[in-house]
Amino acid sequence: MTNSQNLLELENATVAFGGFLAVSGLDFCVTKGELRCLIGPNGAGKTTALDLICGKTPISSGMIRFEGRPIDHLKEYQISRIGIGRKFQVPSVFRELTVRENLRIGNSRDPGVFGNLWRFGGKTEEPERLAELVGLQDELETAAAHLSHGQTQWLEIALILAQDPALILMDEPTAGMTGQETRKTADLFNRLRGQHTLMVVEHDMGFVRDIAETISVMHQGKLLAEGTLEEISADEAVREAYLGSGGIGHA
Amino acid sequence: MTPAGQFAIRFLPYLAFCVAILLVPQFIDDAFLLNKYARYLVFAILAVALCLSWGYAGILNLGQATTFGIGSYCMAMSLKLGTVPVHTGSEGLPDFMVWNNVTELPWFWAPFHSTTFAIIAGVLVPALFAALLGWFMFRGRVTGVYAAIITLATMVVVNLLIIDQQRYTGGFNGITDLAQFEAAGFTFDAYSASTYYLVAGCLCLTLFVSYAITRSKTGLILQAIRDQEDRVRFFGYDVALYKVFVFAVSAGIAGVAGMLYTIVMEFASPTFLGVPLSLSVVIWVAVGGRQSLLGAVFGALIVTGTQGALSESETFLESWTLIMGALFVLVVLFLPKGLAGACELLVQRFRSAAADGKASEPRTPVATQPESAS
Repeated sequence: MTNSQNLLELENATVAFGGFLAVSGLDFCVTKGELRCLIGPNGAGKTTALDLICGKTPISSGMIRFEGRPIDHLKEYQISRIGIGRKFQVPSVFRELTVRENLRIGNSRDPGVFGNLWRFGGKTEEPERLAELVGLQDELETAAAHLSHGQTQWLEIALILAQDPALILMDEPTAGMTGQETRKTADLFNRLRGQHTLMVVEHDMGFVRDIAETISVMHQGKLLAEGTLEEISADEAVREAYLGSGGIGHA
Repeated sequence: MTPAGQFAIRFLPYLAFCVAILLVPQFIDDAFLLNKYARYLVFAILAVALCLSWGYAGILNLGQATTFGIGSYCMAMSLKLGTVPVHTGSEGLPDFMVWNNVTELPWFWAPFHSTTFAIIAGVLVPALFAALLGWFMFRGRVTGVYAAIITLATMVVVNLLIIDQQRYTGGFNGITDLAQFEAAGFTFDAYSASTYYLVAGCLCLTLFVSYAITRSKTGLILQAIRDQEDRVRFFGYDVALYKVFVFAVSAGIAGVAGMLYTIVMEFASPTFLGVPLSLSVVIWVAVGGRQSLLGAVFGALIVTGTQGALSESETFLESWTLIMGALFVLVVLFLPKGLAGACELLVQRFRSAAADGKASEPRTPVATQPESAS
């Protein structure tokens, strides 16, 4: 089932927390350069699936391959080094450091202790370019703790762009954003399309509509359906899964 | 402000401090006072060591005195062998070994005939010891209060070992009656300006090296680890390796402080690896400001200086520990970032007040203006 087009493959991936299967037998492929949305009702196992890929949660059984290589035995930092970046649901930035310093840490092309001992200051263009991309160019010397919630989300996105991984995993990038901020984020994602492979977990269907090509729906730890927004909306099983939560549009 | 200007402003206090401590012997001719001040400067080096691991990387090391003590014993072993044959018995054995019926110099004492070896060992043994301990702790992701407890427990174990192995370590009494430290044909008298200069020079060097580490990208990553360790991993940094590194550097610096302490005090004792000293270091750094190297240095100098002055004065002979305790509680309650944090706040207030005074363009708020646009 190895396909050279596939950047990421999950094969029968399973995670058991005690007796509870958070992810059970998940089969999933992401091809190079695509922007994939992962949706599903609460507790479907979306975040756990991302945790599995980036090594935060160990896999119970099954296989994960990145560029054809198995990665499920690697440590978090090793997975990150081969080109997988992760944005967390609760924005995680370094609050005591300035935006510029945060961006310097994001750029982790050389992660060695001793190499970094001789690195002072560094190039200033890259942090400035990235800060401009996410609209933080006026906040470069501001401590991250003083940013608004939306700005913090953007800063973390910029950190991942500084890291420049082949595959970016985004967990609810627009959570807590205003409508206007969400639209700006959608613009940003559309600009990233093609340069990076993105996998986005999202609840905001308006946002998904704006950015998605292919949507995967998870339910009870399994992949339920995959296709364009129209195909997904028409799918009987998906309607069933979202029943009681007001339908897919309000999930 | 240009980056060079910013650098100058940050660096200037360090330079001024170094010049100031090197000038002290020009004004003081009292050998006893110089010895006392040298002792305080040794404590300042120890404070810098803890500031690196606790202030910058968030590793609260309650056993900082372990590595301090190891360094001090390395130097004491060398200086003890230097006394041959004045304070030794038959076959050049240190006196306490003779009393303990040791007939032959133990193998691990032999290389300490060389001062160079002793100095290298005084840095490397503590550093390797810390690296090994850190490797187990940080690979196993032991953090916070658990790491603090492990460092404290390790210190108690090492302390007991030294007391127990009286035949090789002098036990409770430690290693006393030492020769004076000699390097490159020069003898450092503990009660003279030479030893003071030695300690002050080491403090300056320690400050510069530590400052360079904290300003490098490695230092930045350490601060990020302090802020949010888990997040740093997902950028591809090996967090455990970074923590082992700073823990070992901190231990090496503590080892240097320990060696100097033996030179200044002219003995080594198991109390150097004691809980009271170890906790005192934490207090110095907390009072001075744990996120500033210079703050930690001033914390050590102010606290130990006050302690010395109070305990020597007749009025406070009974109550000085109480006063020190109250000082600590007050600082922790009202100055969470220590004296350095208070200074920073004052400078900021002063700057914004000055900026308000001469603000000709009220539309550019000074506080949010990016400082280095170029």
